[in-house]
Amino acid sequence: MKTRVLGVAGLLAVIGAAFFGLFVVPADLNQGDAQRIMYVHVASAWIAYLSFGVTAMAGLGYLWRRDLRLDAIALAGAEVGVMFTAFAIWGGMMWGRPVWGVFWQWEDPRLTTTALLLALYLGYLLLRRLSEDPARRATRAAIVGLVAAVDIPIVHFSVIWWRGLHQGPTIGSPDKLLHPSAPLQFVAALLLMLGAFTLVWSYFMIRRYQLARIEWQIEEHGRVGRISAARRAAFGAPAEEPIR
Amino acid sequence: MTDLGFVVAAYGVILGGVAIYALTLVRRLRIAREASLRIRRDADAAPPTPSGGR
Amino acid sequence: MSQLARHATVALAIARKDALSELRGRQASGSTLFFAALVLLLFGFALGPDSQRLSEAAPGLLWLAIVFGGLLTVARLHQLEAEDGAFEQLALYPVDRRAIFAGKALAASTAMLVLGGLLLPVVAILYALPIGAAWLALIATVVLGAIGFAAVGTAYAALTVRMRAREVMLPLLMLPIVAPLLLAAVKATAAALTGDPFGELGSWLQLLAGFDVVMLVVGAGTYGFLLEE
Repeated sequence: MKTRVLGVAGLLAVIGAAFFGLFVVPADLNQGDAQRIMYVHVASAWIAYLSFGVTAMAGLGYLWRRDLRLDAIALAGAEVGVMFTAFAIWGGMMWGRPVWGVFWQWEDPRLTTTALLLALYLGYLLLRRLSEDPARRATRAAIVGLVAAVDIPIVHFSVIWWRGLHQGPTIGSPDKLLHPSAPLQFVAALLLMLGAFTLVWSYFMIRRYQLARIEWQIEEHGRVGRISAARRAAFGAPAEEPIR
Repeated sequence: MTDLGFVVAAYGVILGGVAIYALTLVRRLRIAREASLRIRRDADAAPPTPSGGR
Repeated sequence: MSQLARHATVALAIARKDALSELRGRQASGSTLFFAALVLLLFGFALGPDSQRLSEAAPGLLWLAIVFGGLLTVARLHQLEAEDGAFEQLALYPVDRRAIFAGKALAASTAMLVLGGLLLPVVAILYALPIGAAWLALIATVVLGAIGFAAVGTAYAALTVRMRAREVMLPLLMLPIVAPLLLAAVKATAAALTGDPFGELGSWLQLLAGFDVVMLVVGAGTYGFLLEE
């Protein structure tokens, strides 16, 4: 099956990219080995944004077309996106501790934006879990996914201005430390990891979509069963409207 | 913890997480497919009661 | 009557209806104001008694109180309709959904404007803030903040009002969305109070206005889907 090939390709690509980033590329003169974390950290973040972009577009598509398959794509994007967002935050913290001396710094716009991203889409997933009717669930999710997506650029600008206008001393100016000593190889390592993650992401999206479709079918079967059972029990009287 | 420790922690959790997610996803898919097949078999064996349309 | 005038009439009618029920059910809106003031008081206990520290934190505390009060406000403005089944009736009217949204958002904005306006003197007293010449900039900040919060709140309140765990879902969904609004409003308030030493007030107000426009557009565009459920 083609998807299985994609999965294997992704696995090999990740191993290759990790090997390149960990053992082939030299350590940074300023940041030392901690620089290597950037490859997985930045790649995770980009994939998360990609994933949430898909969620927003698929949700928009659902509002337009009412096709639940689009909703399944949106769900896949959100779940996979949340995972990569968590990775990005973890990577950012593991990089921050050796480089800044602290795990968290409010002045780093990327870290704060990513934390908000996680909160937004965990809320999205929770919203889906608390809605039972598939159509309402899909509508609500689409709207929340859309609002979250348009909020992100606003958040991005606001936290950048937040830092830019702050005039106090910083622990270790993040900008200075982001200028690497061997740009070409570092960029290559980053792009390699990004490519590998993209393959892995595509594989996850396909599988999660397939899972969502089957789970929906099972859910539908359960609903039909409950409705007809209730009908039988009440001799034709309509079942009470459940919370939607 | 040395710098190397943080690198290991970063790569370990992230790549490990990718691997775990892949395995659990495949497993969830397998379980769902089995459940779906079972439902279809039961439906074929015993046709739905004629209690009016949906 | 032109289409725009017709929409405006509908929106104003809905806003007026909400405003009247707010005034009649005075306990509810009064309680929300009381709650927000209590929050401000409690912040004093949590962060005090150093007046210097409280003064510096005051803009943030003010806006946190507005946000908490706002959550109650937007929830309340949708609850009455949900309980009476009026939502379904609203959906049956052959009017543009955007007009309905505009009306509800206008009502929510007004309620939040009142809330913010009444909390300003409370903050000024509790945290010793010299409002003086900054009052115009402060009003502008409260207006822009209220509109943005009301836009998101109106959409999300309609979304969550018929859900299980709605009391926690509304804040849970709203708080991350309004984080940039909170950030900008606090910075603008602080800038206004200190005489805007870095000339940043304009930028923050622009960010607020941008947030408002985006959320009003998205809210108006999607409100119809929420009514049709």
